Amino acid sequence: MIPTFRHGVKTKGRKEYTENMPFEEYPVGDFVYIPLLQHIGKPATPLVIVGDKVKCGTKIGEADGFISANVHSSVSGEVTGIVDLPCATGLPTTHIVIKNDYKYEEDFLSPIQNPTKDEVLERCKEAGIVGMGGATFPTIVKLMPKTPIKALIINGCECEPYITVDYRLMLEKAAEVLSGIDLVKRALGVNKVYFGIESNKPEAIIKLRDISTDDEIEFCELKTKYPQGGEKQLISAITKEKVPKGGLPSDLGYVVFNVSTVYALYEAVYLGQPLIYRHMTVSGNGVKRAANLRVRIGVQLSDIVEYLGIEENVVKVVLGGPMMGVSLHNFKSTITKGSSSLLLLAEKEIREIEPTPCINCGRCAKACPMFLMPMVTDRAILHGDIEGANNSYAMSCIECGCCAYVCPARRPLVQSQRLAKKLIRKNKLTPA
Amino acid sequence: MKTKFLVSSSPHIGSNLTTKKIMLHVIIALSFPLIAATIIFGLYSLFIVLLAVGASVLGETLYNLIRKRANTISDLSAIVTGLILGMNLPPTVPFYVPIIGGLFAIMVVKMLFGGLGQNFANPAATARIFLTLSWPVQMSKYMSPLDYSGGVKVFISGFTKTYVTSATPLATIKDSIDVGGVSNLNLLDMFLGKIGGSIGEVCSLAIIIAAIYLIITKVIDWKTLVSYVITCAVLALAFYKDGYLYVLPTILSGGILFAGVFMLTDYTTSPRTELGRVIFAIFAGLFTMIIRRFGGMPEGACFSILLANLFVPYIDKIVKPKPFGYVKPKKERKKETNV
Repeated sequence: MIPTFRHGVKTKGRKEYTENMPFEEYPVGDFVYIPLLQHIGKPATPLVIVGDKVKCGTKIGEADGFISANVHSSVSGEVTGIVDLPCATGLPTTHIVIKNDYKYEEDFLSPIQNPTKDEVLERCKEAGIVGMGGATFPTIVKLMPKTPIKALIINGCECEPYITVDYRLMLEKAAEVLSGIDLVKRALGVNKVYFGIESNKPEAIIKLRDISTDDEIEFCELKTKYPQGGEKQLISAITKEKVPKGGLPSDLGYVVFNVSTVYALYEAVYLGQPLIYRHMTVSGNGVKRAANLRVRIGVQLSDIVEYLGIEENVVKVVLGGPMMGVSLHNFKSTITKGSSSLLLLAEKEIREIEPTPCINCGRCAKACPMFLMPMVTDRAILHGDIEGANNSYAMSCIECGCCAYVCPARRPLVQSQRLAKKLIRKNKLTPA
Repeated sequence: MKTKFLVSSSPHIGSNLTTKKIMLHVIIALSFPLIAATIIFGLYSLFIVLLAVGASVLGETLYNLIRKRANTISDLSAIVTGLILGMNLPPTVPFYVPIIGGLFAIMVVKMLFGGLGQNFANPAATARIFLTLSWPVQMSKYMSPLDYSGGVKVFISGFTKTYVTSATPLATIKDSIDVGGVSNLNLLDMFLGKIGGSIGEVCSLAIIIAAIYLIITKVIDWKTLVSYVITCAVLALAFYKDGYLYVLPTILSGGILFAGVFMLTDYTTSPRTELGRVIFAIFAGLFTMIIRRFGGMPEGACFSILLANLFVPYIDKIVKPKPFGYVKPKKERKKETNV
């Protein structure tokens, strides 16, 4: 039996579009628009003014407080504007507009060989590294846990359909990923590492096992099931322990790192390169040429779409994975540290029909990896019963989308969970 | 380049299953015992079932017309209700019985409570009880399976009222309680459906095929069905003298299998959780057997479902799954005071 977590759904993988395509460098255009808020927490404070000359890697935004992250220029050139533009979620965010001079002069940090714990921590903070699995939580916070850590867990599951970023990184940059893991080990002072990879990526497992010289890294092949890469689900699959409700993995003594994050840390320490690149998948039936790209942060989506070509049949544009990503109404937003994929989806790929009444079939509860009852929250919140929604443990929802994925009545269950969470917070109820 | 795109909450992809497809699976499953019944009882039994289906669909259309709402028959749930109701009737009932039953099931039991997904009682079971109370004689008149040895003419005997009436195995069991022994029942006949009874319930073989179909297509949960049948079997052992002789006749006769496959598993009128559904099925089994053994009527499946329906809100209140990583609140409080 391949280990896994309880519940969840089997999704259509749809990774065949891009899984065999090596990363290609995206040729950046005349302008980049770099948002100062690309992470969870406070936006960075701008360090440049219009007219300033910057180089690749110049710090243009300073972290504001502990839960925040530095922001760096991804091209060399001149700052031509500091403007509020809507980011992918629709909220206005300050963007720094930089005109590319195509010289790509570098202003990197000094590479460190054989760094100490403090050097890794300092570099992680300086390079503005955030969790690149999608949550974009500042990595430095995770590297300084308040409780003792017994093991590091590396997340190479990549359970979202379409996305092949972590898979390609594990294949193409296996050695770099492994030395990145070594850096995290140093920073945390742990020895034991579990490397969780879904069983649909056998080549990655073989490659990593082949070149790994660290006996403390245990490669765990996990069942291909969504959301296998969810932090709590991953820990439960590998260690059979459950993160307490409302708690963090560090409560159990674990820290979870994504493959892309580990790779970014490698680049920051050994190459001195701040986080100015994002590896991403552009896929879907509506893109003329699906690809895995290495893109400079701040590139506008419309440029990428133009570069790869768009079909007429596109009906939905998703930034991020199809299960948890955000749908966009235009291509004006830009690539940020958390943009793992851009999907141009055709009618036949998406599911978009009118919701019908709940028939109480119970499929959502059977699919929920957090063992919640989405149909109860849905009904409660549509009746304005915030307390009822809270009592059905809405606050434990991880918004993975399994419930809505299986719902035969096509009810927008994730949306009602989100609404419930928002109203519970607004009414300051104690999470049940 | 196109400039208008759909914007909605995640997830953006989903399974292909719809409510309509689930209903279609149930209709396919129901067609097995219906085909069997048509062979066993003749064309008239099919006619009754179709009348019930027509009345159900008509009832939903009428109700939506009166309430000025969009018609909802395309979700196929009215067809399922009509089929289940029709197959719950004896094969000899006058034509107006399924019509009134179908209208009652849909308009009163389902639509008045809010339509699909909102009714608390099983429409077909409630309508069958309504009909039994309204036409007790017609609703308890059963016929023998057709005897094709004299030619296929008997196939339409239902229309000409030339069929042979017969007692059902249920009545035989009921009558045998004080006398003891049910040895005159042929188990193979009961399994194949060569017995008197309601249209859908007689052919156990067809129902078992339907059950397997529904379990494979993941429409129903085998646990509900199995716990209901096992409860009935265990109670048959306990309730009758020489109970072991009664176990198979109990399960193969009357509506236990049919109700267990098609009626207890109705999503709307059963609890939300797997455990809740098992408890619900055990309740239903208990009521079925109490009515069969101690009640005034030989059959109890429909009444038991209606009774069990009433317990659903309580079962849902008690059986509440704990979320991932749930810690008992007591311990949490202790921790807080220690810190």
